[in-house]
Amino acid sequence: MSQPIADFKQSQPLNLGVELELQLVSGRDFDLTRGATDLLASMDYDGRFGEIKLEITESMIEISTLPQTLVDGIAADLVGLRQALVNQCARNHIAVCGGGTHPFHRWAERRICPGDRFDEIYHRYGYLAKQFTVFGQHIHVGCSSGDDAIWLTQALGPYVPVFIALSASSPFVDGEDTFFQSARLNAVSAFPLSGQCPELRDWEDFMEHFSFLQACGIARSIKDLYWDIRPKPEFGTVEIRVCDTPLTVERAAALAALAQALVRHLLRTRPVLDTPRHLHVARYNKFQACRYGYEAQLSDPIGRRQVPLRQVASELLAALAEDARALGCSGWLELLDASLASDLSDAKWLRRRQAIRRNLNDVVRETAMRFGKSGSMNLAEDPG
Amino acid sequence: MIDDIVSPARAAWEDLQERLFFLPPFPDAVDSLALFSLLLVIGLLVGEWLRARWGWPKVIGYVLAGTVFGPSVLGWISIEALAQTRPIADAALGLLMLEIGRQLDLRWLGQNRELLRAALAEISLSFTAIFLFAWGVVGLIPAWAAAAAAVTMASAPAVVLLIVEESSAQGQVTERIVIHTALSAAASFVVFAVVVGVVHAEYSNDWLNAVLHPFWVVVGALIIAWAMALLALLVASRLPKRSLAQVFILVATALLAVGTARMLAVPVFLTLFVMGAILSFSDQERTLSYTNLPEGHWLLAIILFVVVGASLPWQDFTWLIGLQAVGLLLVRAVAKVAAVAWAGDGLGVAGRRVLVGIGIQPLSATAVFMAYEIAGLYPEIGRSSLSLPLFAAAIMELAGPALCRFALVRAGESAPADNSREGVA
Repeated sequence: MSQPIADFKQSQPLNLGVELELQLVSGRDFDLTRGATDLLASMDYDGRFGEIKLEITESMIEISTLPQTLVDGIAADLVGLRQALVNQCARNHIAVCGGGTHPFHRWAERRICPGDRFDEIYHRYGYLAKQFTVFGQHIHVGCSSGDDAIWLTQALGPYVPVFIALSASSPFVDGEDTFFQSARLNAVSAFPLSGQCPELRDWEDFMEHFSFLQACGIARSIKDLYWDIRPKPEFGTVEIRVCDTPLTVERAAALAALAQALVRHLLRTRPVLDTPRHLHVARYNKFQACRYGYEAQLSDPIGRRQVPLRQVASELLAALAEDARALGCSGWLELLDASLASDLSDAKWLRRRQAIRRNLNDVVRETAMRFGKSGSMNLAEDPG
Repeated sequence: MIDDIVSPARAAWEDLQERLFFLPPFPDAVDSLALFSLLLVIGLLVGEWLRARWGWPKVIGYVLAGTVFGPSVLGWISIEALAQTRPIADAALGLLMLEIGRQLDLRWLGQNRELLRAALAEISLSFTAIFLFAWGVVGLIPAWAAAAAAVTMASAPAVVLLIVEESSAQGQVTERIVIHTALSAAASFVVFAVVVGVVHAEYSNDWLNAVLHPFWVVVGALIIAWAMALLALLVASRLPKRSLAQVFILVATALLAVGTARMLAVPVFLTLFVMGAILSFSDQERTLSYTNLPEGHWLLAIILFVVVGASLPWQDFTWLIGLQAVGLLLVRAVAKVAAVAWAGDGLGVAGRRVLVGIGIQPLSATAVFMAYEIAGLYPEIGRSSLSLPLFAAAIMELAGPALCRFALVRAGESAPADNSREGVA
């Protein structure tokens, strides 16, 4: 049954919220394991850092922070949520880790979580629902109006490859090196309403577009829109959905800082958008970022040339310095800049561990150790 | 009727023999190995049929085939033939015990005190309840009541592992069923060693044997297990992880441990269980942790359960012993379910804790072999005194797998039934 879109809830502009989908792995062999429902049922957690909730399969769990003005608040919430989850998992012989895909699980073995919504998704999308056992980071940035949210949905579009490359942590699928830095988005792109939002003028235009999709029977609720960036009227935010779940909560906080600073920059400078042209190259650029990460060559539809993603990202981080200072998140952006300069991404870290260990079970074990460690500010640090 | 068929065949054979000098005399009986192999095929077919037709665990089919064709009922398989298959059954049980030992992660108990409390409650309550029932209600003397409690207090690792594997079960109820099973098996071995000493003291008045036999059993198992675990890790660390060669090393060292334990009269299942637990605890580099035993070892499990089925003493069945065995099982069931449900176990929902209690009900191969072991030491007394646990085991051979599977299915942790993907075990 179709659901009308909720009114756009006005939120404090630039407020941040982060959701991380995390992997539950067996303490025995570090394969994905079912346990999300029991884990939550026995959990004694007062919600002080945000929510811990079920995701579609029993091997996934989602943590979401409280709305925060500062990235430091997001980082503190993520650390608190991580600790609560790590402790609870240890009590149940489970480990929890980041990463956009589990390197070697078999999707057919996944079990859908109980619940009408998950059941409905499973019946609608069939095996895609189980193959959707991939793990992403969603970043919400508060907007003062629906019009701003729609404008940002398009203004942020050209920066999608930067978010993909900086968060890429899914090089392995089905026990194989995919040669991608982020293979997760290939699973998302199988859904019919994935990809880029079309050119829209404002909130009213978006409502019309969505009504059209509903009338055609393509979408029932806004949750059916698996766009890379989409408005979230219930929260009053624009939501960036392209990031893999990083291996550490510190990188997750740094990506949130990038989103916050970028949104401030865009709202402050209000650049003229050429969405139709960007839409022509969006899929290509997304593929480049997923496939090559920092080494991607992006297509610039305005300058009609190719530009290295590394250059685009570096220039962007430099351009955001003033906004980052104003938001008190310069340190977080410096972490990303250092990661870019030293050529160390999460995907590369995973490949390096695999080269040393030559065993993906060990790689997941070390990934879980890395996720569980607190206080690490070095995004490229190895486990002890 | 059989004579009507055999006589002409014999006559024809003897005619042939006059012309073909290499022919042996007409066989008077079917070769025991051939008969046993036939039994395995039947066991397999019965198991598969029960699974496909009624959704029952296959292990019930194996036990049923062994029971029907064994010495107790049709007698197609003789006691001698059964004795010849014992090394294979030991190897099968040994490998399954190794696997449950490898799944015993003691660090988990350190991180979950409720689980530790539940395990201790389950172990102590099961032993106490069964001992009191065997002593107070059935009227066994304390030493034999303790022996009965020692062999029946544990859940059956082999059955639990087979059912978990067969159901592709995965989840917190499954994890707890496995760890409770492993811990109760460990406790049962220790208590059994002590009880053997008590029985020696009671009957032979030989204090040297009373003290040294349990010591021999426990220390012997520890030394063999430690040496074999060390050897396995040493060799396996030079091989690629999860390679076939590592699987081979794991199985080869396990079989070496079986042989050594048999030579030194140390219980095979205790040795292999300890070896698995040592491997699990000491494998810091995870050399063998991710190595699974080959699927072929589940074929050995068919032999194991056919042998167990054939070893069950149904010929000694009386209604009184049957009732007493049912009483023992009820007391044991209540003790296990109550302990797990009361102690929390770290599972938030009470209904799921009860399912853990139901899942750990199986009682089988180890109990049967342990009962025979202690009865073998004092054949004139032991056999009659241990008919109670033997019949309890016999009943649970059939009911236990069904209860375990019921718990996994009700917990929603078994894979949806898809017979097309089923293997032989």
